[in-house]
Amino acid sequence: MAYAYLFKYIIIGDTGVGKSCLLLQFTDKRFQPVHDLTIGVEFGARMITIDGKQIKLQIWDTAGQESFRSITRSYYRGAAGALLVYDITRRDTFNHLTTWLEDARQHSNSNMVIMLIGNKSDLESRREVKKEEGEAFAREHGLIFMETSAKTASNVEEAFINTAKEIYEKIQEGVFDINNEANGIKIGPQHPTTNSTLSGSQGGQHAGGGCC
Amino acid sequence: MLTRVKSAVANFMGGMMAGGSNGDHSGGSDLPLKYPYSRPEFLGLSPDEVECSADHASRPIVIVKETKRLPWATGYAEAINAGKSALNEDQARCEVLVIKRKPGGNPTSSQIPMTRRRSSLPNGEGVADKYKDSPYLDRTEDLMLNYWALFDGHAGSGAAVMASHLLHHHVALHLQEVLEILCTPNLLAPTCLGEEPINHHLTPTSQRALTRAASLRGAAGAPCSPGSPPTRFFTEKKVSQESLVIGAIENAFKDMDMQIEKEKGVYNISGGCTALAVVCLLGKLYVANAGDSRAIIIRAGEVIPVSAEFTPESERQRLQFLAYMQPQLLGNEFTHLEFPRRVQRKEVGKRMLYRDFTMSGWAYKTIEDDDLKFPLIYGEGKKARVLATIGVTRGLGDHSLKVHDSNIYIKPFLSCCPEVRVYPLGQYEHGADDVLVLGSDGLWDVLSNQEAAEAVTSFLANCNPDDRHRYTMAAQDLVMRARGVLKDGGWKISNDRLGSGDDISVFIIPLTHASKQN
Ligand SMILES: Nc1nc2c(ncn2[C@@H]2O[C@H](COP(=O)(O)OP(=O)(O)O)[C@@H](O)[C@H]2O)c(=O)[nH]1
Ligand SMILES: [Mg+2]
Repeated sequence: MAYAYLFKYIIIGDTGVGKSCLLLQFTDKRFQPVHDLTIGVEFGARMITIDGKQIKLQIWDTAGQESFRSITRSYYRGAAGALLVYDITRRDTFNHLTTWLEDARQHSNSNMVIMLIGNKSDLESRREVKKEEGEAFAREHGLIFMETSAKTASNVEEAFINTAKEIYEKIQEGVFDINNEANGIKIGPQHPTTNSTLSGSQGGQHAGGGCC
Repeated sequence: MLTRVKSAVANFMGGMMAGGSNGDHSGGSDLPLKYPYSRPEFLGLSPDEVECSADHASRPIVIVKETKRLPWATGYAEAINAGKSALNEDQARCEVLVIKRKPGGNPTSSQIPMTRRRSSLPNGEGVADKYKDSPYLDRTEDLMLNYWALFDGHAGSGAAVMASHLLHHHVALHLQEVLEILCTPNLLAPTCLGEEPINHHLTPTSQRALTRAASLRGAAGAPCSPGSPPTRFFTEKKVSQESLVIGAIENAFKDMDMQIEKEKGVYNISGGCTALAVVCLLGKLYVANAGDSRAIIIRAGEVIPVSAEFTPESERQRLQFLAYMQPQLLGNEFTHLEFPRRVQRKEVGKRMLYRDFTMSGWAYKTIEDDDLKFPLIYGEGKKARVLATIGVTRGLGDHSLKVHDSNIYIKPFLSCCPEVRVYPLGQYEHGADDVLVLGSDGLWDVLSNQEAAEAVTSFLANCNPDDRHRYTMAAQDLVMRARGVLKDGGWKISNDRLGSGDDISVFIIPLTHASKQN
């Protein structure tokens, strides 16, 4: 399918916070209570529309365990957006955010948009981290913030799409160098400014066919 | 490998190759693809996932998914190259196959004409059923085998993709022809099928073997009294079952190569590939290698190499001899002699070091005009090339590969014949950390056998022995060690060495499962 842009995301955070469930909810609109432990990197993709433009989100879901940290780190660099996830019912996952953030800041490109996500909002009775704490952490570190539930799908769309909007705005502002694929942004075959297709005398805009 | 080929040719031809297109499928062909490009079938990747796997900037290490468990808990991981080709030109395959008796019986009869077999080339279905698809097996007459293979493509992904889909079917076809001999314990291969059996048996007391052997030879009512074998007056070579399996695998490689050549007329099959295939059959591992992939066994932390690479350097004498015997293959542009460096015109008449096909050492000869031609084998180590074009000397495909801007074909110098080594699995005790490691050259270019063995051994030691992902995680770790991390614009591994920029593929196969299964 043709797209105007492709944005690459990475999902990070402690193991068990619901990263893989968030991805599945976003791409397949379903919740799978028992998700297999991610031991490497897994991929998902979905098309969204922003400002009337088709945008393909390519999402890399990573392993949270310490032992895979060096592999996970190696995937930050090529991402335009990151979803940093903690579990509102487990305070330790919130406490580890600083480490995750340092890691991300150190290994990603400086323009990467980071969305902080407090997941499992459906488990209000077991909540250990107040929403205000999440908001405060986000404000302090310049992140966007949302609470989500991969189970009920609450805010899941919004989390992925708001991140994309932020990236899109940055592109409009000229902050991102969109010609450098290492930034996690690719221009699609139908984009008016692309010069990758040699269309000869046709010139200018025409809806591109399939990608790649 | 594509760029390797290209840059070598470019050097040789004075950089005239600049700006060549890197289209992997097309290769200028309008013919349809037989198999579309993809990643190994057992990874079960969607088109979106395949696209993600080809991210040259991040080079994700792709592993077997939880839901796609491989036989023997085999571990697998791969990473794409750093940008030398658009697609990952490595391919892999892992199968459990059941070889069935041919319908209509009499499977090992000599009456099966070769031509009939050839005319029905396998196309992804046939004699070998996947184990899971055949729950109703007559286990006594069917033979089960495990198969793993790595293919490393060059100048396109077509040949590697095709071989990954079909080589195991050729193996199954050839094994089917000798199925009954293999199923008879301790039987030597009969010299001539359908003839009176002679005293072939290793264990004369094996009455069951004897009667079965007699029956499978199918001689109608031929009298056969086990007590008094007929006398022969000439000596006869004894051929073991093991040799029959080796022969079957060798012929499978040859048929695979012929099928690629034949179907090139109908399909677009780009490039060529190396092939490393492992067959586990009746308690033995058969490791067949044509190319520069490598297999090692790690047993109690010790490295046991079970393959050798075929490169311009390792095969120099074979290639030189061929060129010496058939100089027209060099198109008057190359010399079969090797010199330590290019000979210069002003050196004609002087005496210079050289080697011919008869030599592994060096001697001096007087330089003649002919010696000014480009050497058949040129370059050292990973940069060594045959005819300034290709860096591997065995494999499948490459039928239309020519020296750039010439009419000189490379194929006559390439061999599709694998070297098959046998590892008697059953003769050793294996622990959970004893494994067979298969890797494409992307792995071995940067890691020595010893380094790989140490990495795997220490990884597995720190891993829960009951974790069924342990071999996949070990494979992932090994690929990570070979790929490295991006630092200052380059891929770096431990000790600040350069990581591999090539496609990297790794199988890690635990050896304990063989005994459990068979
Ligand atoms: N109640 C509830 N459970 C969730 C939610 N998201 C994930 N889980 C559960 O949390 C566990 C871990 O989820 P998973 O996606 O595998 O976490 P990951 O390790 O971060 O990928 C699973 O048992 C899920 O069923 C959620 O939003 N609500
Ligand atoms: Mg997960």
